[in-house]
Amino acid sequence: MDFYQNRVLRGILLAIRVVLGAVFVYGGYVKLRLPWALFGMAIDSYHLVPLRYVEPLARTIPWFEVVLGLLLIFGRFMRISTAAVSLTLAIFFAAMLRAFLNHQQIDCGCFGPGDPISKWTLLRDGSLLAGALLLTWTALRSPRRMA
Amino acid sequence: MKLYTIALVALLPCLAATPDVDKGKALGLPTAPIRMEIFSDFTCPHCRALHEEMLPLLMKEFVVTGKLYLVDRAFPLTGPGHEYSREAFGYAVAAARIGKYQEVADALYTYQQVWAKDGNVWDCVSAVLKNPADQKKVKDLSKDPGVLAEIEAEYQEGVQGGINVTPTMVVTVGGKRFPLPTAPNYELLRSMLNGFLPK
Repeated sequence: MDFYQNRVLRGILLAIRVVLGAVFVYGGYVKLRLPWALFGMAIDSYHLVPLRYVEPLARTIPWFEVVLGLLLIFGRFMRISTAAVSLTLAIFFAAMLRAFLNHQQIDCGCFGPGDPISKWTLLRDGSLLAGALLLTWTALRSPRRMA
Repeated sequence: MKLYTIALVALLPCLAATPDVDKGKALGLPTAPIRMEIFSDFTCPHCRALHEEMLPLLMKEFVVTGKLYLVDRAFPLTGPGHEYSREAFGYAVAAARIGKYQEVADALYTYQQVWAKDGNVWDCVSAVLKNPADQKKVKDLSKDPGVLAEIEAEYQEGVQGGINVTPTMVVTVGGKRFPLPTAPNYELLRSMLNGFLPK
């Protein structure tokens, strides 16, 4: 019974890891296909970062997302990659929550333009964060690579 | 002189506008690689800032040079402070019918704080339309069912496109539409537009 439960757990963790990785790769890819300034405007609309940092962030975050997504999908450097994904999602979620609570009618910027921050986007990103935290916790507890 | 002529030609509302565009409210060449629609309201202070500060920069750098086709879209707001919004759009769209949209739009934004409070929208519009014949045409056309239907159609287009705040700019490149954040930084907007232009 314990063995069966472990297999189920491993399957769930594998699914979360692949889905989360795919979401990161897709999010990065969508931004890379468009001019960096389009994502830059989304970052700027949060009013969290001075303008001089917007361009470096808009140019690097999408690549960062793609690399992290691929590491998750292929299960490499799991302790570091899951922790980095959790931290990234925690920052994104906090920024979105702040904008939502301040009634800022802005785009999330998560998957390109046209995705306004709403309860739905918060639920979506909150779920991703929960999944990432679970992966991080499991990776840090496990002495060896996960499934 | 040559540059001035080119600028004037580009600034003229284009005769060959695409069917879904009110040519009287558009600036630039319809064949430009980028189309930008601006959903705005004459009673909205942010729209006024965009019209007075960002629009001249866009005109100089992108419209006159044939890179951008700029289309004004009506998005009349409702509620306190916006009581005369529809009336203002009535005059503006009517003015577009006789090729005087830009003059009327300029005046409506310049004196926004006056007419939006006292409701004397016509005083503002008639002051810029000096010719009595033009004044009569605009006054009559402002009640024309076609004009009112155009305002409503553009408003509904905005609502269906998820627009709930003004000004909202929507950029169309290669058939794909990209709604932009409200009141973006001009340097970022310029970088984005340049990024969309063919290399």
